[in-house]
Amino acid sequence: MRARRKTLISGAAAAALLTVSLAACGSGGGSDDSGTTLTYWRLSETNEATGAAFAEVLEQFEADNPGVTIQVEERSTDGHKEALRTALGTSGAPDIYWSWAGPGIGGDFVNNGGSLDLAEYYEEYGWASRFNDVSMSSITQYGGYDGIPSGYSGAGIYYNKQLFADAGITETPETYEELLAAADALKASGTDAIEFGGTVNWHLMRLLDNLLETECGADTFDALVRTEASWADESCVETAFSEFSTWSQDYLIADWASLDDAQANQLLFSGQAAMVIEGSWFPQVLVNNNVDPDDFGVFRFPTGTDRLYGDTSNNYVSATTEHPDEAAAFLDHLTSTDSQTTLSQASGSRSVNVEVPLDTEGGTALDATWGEIFESSEGLYAFNDQNLTLAQTTEYFRILNAVASGDIAAADAGPQFQSFIDQQS
Amino acid sequence: MSSVPAMHTVQTRPRRRAPRLRAALPFLAPALLAYVAFVVFPMAESIRLSFFEWSGFVGAEQTFVGLANYVRLFTQDAVFWTAFGNSVIWVALSLVIPMPISLTLAVALDRRLPGRALFRTVFYVPGVLAAIAVANMWRWIYNPRYGVSEGLAQALGLERLQGIQWLGNADIALFAVFVAFVWQAVGTNMVLFLAGLQAVPPELSEAAELDGAGAWQRFWNVTLPSLRPTMVVVVVLTFIGSIKVFDLIVGMTGGGPAQQTQVLALWSYQQSFTNHQYGVGNAVAVVLLVLTAAVVVPYMFWTARRER
Repeated sequence: MRARRKTLISGAAAAALLTVSLAACGSGGGSDDSGTTLTYWRLSETNEATGAAFAEVLEQFEADNPGVTIQVEERSTDGHKEALRTALGTSGAPDIYWSWAGPGIGGDFVNNGGSLDLAEYYEEYGWASRFNDVSMSSITQYGGYDGIPSGYSGAGIYYNKQLFADAGITETPETYEELLAAADALKASGTDAIEFGGTVNWHLMRLLDNLLETECGADTFDALVRTEASWADESCVETAFSEFSTWSQDYLIADWASLDDAQANQLLFSGQAAMVIEGSWFPQVLVNNNVDPDDFGVFRFPTGTDRLYGDTSNNYVSATTEHPDEAAAFLDHLTSTDSQTTLSQASGSRSVNVEVPLDTEGGTALDATWGEIFESSEGLYAFNDQNLTLAQTTEYFRILNAVASGDIAAADAGPQFQSFIDQQS
Repeated sequence: MSSVPAMHTVQTRPRRRAPRLRAALPFLAPALLAYVAFVVFPMAESIRLSFFEWSGFVGAEQTFVGLANYVRLFTQDAVFWTAFGNSVIWVALSLVIPMPISLTLAVALDRRLPGRALFRTVFYVPGVLAAIAVANMWRWIYNPRYGVSEGLAQALGLERLQGIQWLGNADIALFAVFVAFVWQAVGTNMVLFLAGLQAVPPELSEAAELDGAGAWQRFWNVTLPSLRPTMVVVVVLTFIGSIKVFDLIVGMTGGGPAQQTQVLALWSYQQSFTNHQYGVGNAVAVVLLVLTAAVVVPYMFWTARRER
């Protein structure tokens, strides 16, 4: 009898321990007597100066809001995407998270209830007048007020000035034909014209995205990514894939499929490849890799549409947060003129806050060129992994890789992708 | 005569089983509870979800679609059959290649050799490394510009092995990853075979030797039959381990290039967590479950019968 009671007590204790352990498994922010902790997930900060400025902004917020602590978790690009896709909508979701804003990533979170509509806070803080139209359109594109603008980036072709000169290229290409001629000249001089890392998919994707914009034009490009036009019927799609195949076979580094973006970029840094498509954040990457930014130039991919290739990003409040007021207060502080001035001066990038002027002092020549590119561009066409749905993006990656490696003919690529879209709908 | 003990068994079992079960139940309950919560329930939930369309978000609606996810997998999914085929190839290679290597190593290191303990440790160490660390290491080995493979090919003047895209060529990438798997797996199986060899009575081999049997004959007719129980365990564990291969593929190729190294476990994960198509992802998981059960369940019956 005693043994049985002992067993039952042991069993009950084990069950209680299990329950307590399970209850302790949740993450995300919380409150206790010592205050509120907000969890904030974002991309890893690679710029030391920007990291220090961000820490300063956090410190100021915590000083102004006693009892509220911001717990930051940073991850790499793919790790951040995976973590958000896994955690959002669950008790493990962060209170605030940074994300790209396009329908394929940020839009997926919004459409699946992972974002809190911040309409009341836009009214309370008067946020709408703080940002420009491009930024605000990324907030309201899903019908509510999802997130608060964090930044926008452009992407263009970075090139090694010396390799261009060695190949006899004296002017940056202004048309697609001139770009092809430059690639031919580089190839003839014994240099790999362009580099991308294929293992991460999205790096090589940038080439195809730009070829689609070039061959199809702005309206058809937009119709295609919104699946309002058929990838099987638009003849420009086959032309774009055909050009993409040519670039892959003739101008791209031979080992693209074995390298990731960081490994492939090393070939640009070391002068073994002449070009890559990277974003307006790239000058800092050059510095971080002990490369002189003045050795490189940048120009917009000559699509002929005058649109800027790039993306917008926002900070979202998780729909499951228990501290929406504190989260909104933090976002207000983060996007305030003072905080944005601190951040903009550290990073040299444009602020989303329209009150903050671009600090060009101390910036590189590349930063100045980006200023001109932003000024001269009209409209934006986003990275396709942000335009397409998640499943479509996976299939887009499969097809572009197969075309690049010669496993799918350019003529079959568009119909195969359209077939996938049709199956999904 | 033989029916008498059977009669005893039949008569006594019902009387003794119930009290023993009652006594054992409190001890079993915590483990049973955990098993149901963490194994049975998720498995049942996975099967249920395979009949629904769901994005995976807590607030998102789950729509019953019947067998549509399976139909889509079997007739429309451009990747599923590649993943299925690769999983089958992976399992077949896992049974054919690492096992003989492990057995050879075990037989060699079962003898009294100088440095035997060191060799056993050296061969076993890869088995305790995290697969993702192994994947990272082998990615660098295979790096076409800076990797050891390229360096060796150049140093040895092997032109045909230079500049090979081990992980970037769809025709060879799966096999390149499999080499890393073999490197990691042989040590673990070697330890199991070594344990099996310890249980082989030396008298049997000595008697065979006295009868004039050579080394090969003693191995084939004495050692190998004695290792049969170990062999079964190794085969089943290898099958289970190989059909759910995931981390090495993720770490080395991510399923690429162009999904050509995709396997069922990874495709299930990517459909669910990357594409947010939990219904399809769980349908892949159910296919994986059925394949595994087709081998494991007969094995469980077989071992249960042997124990009885």
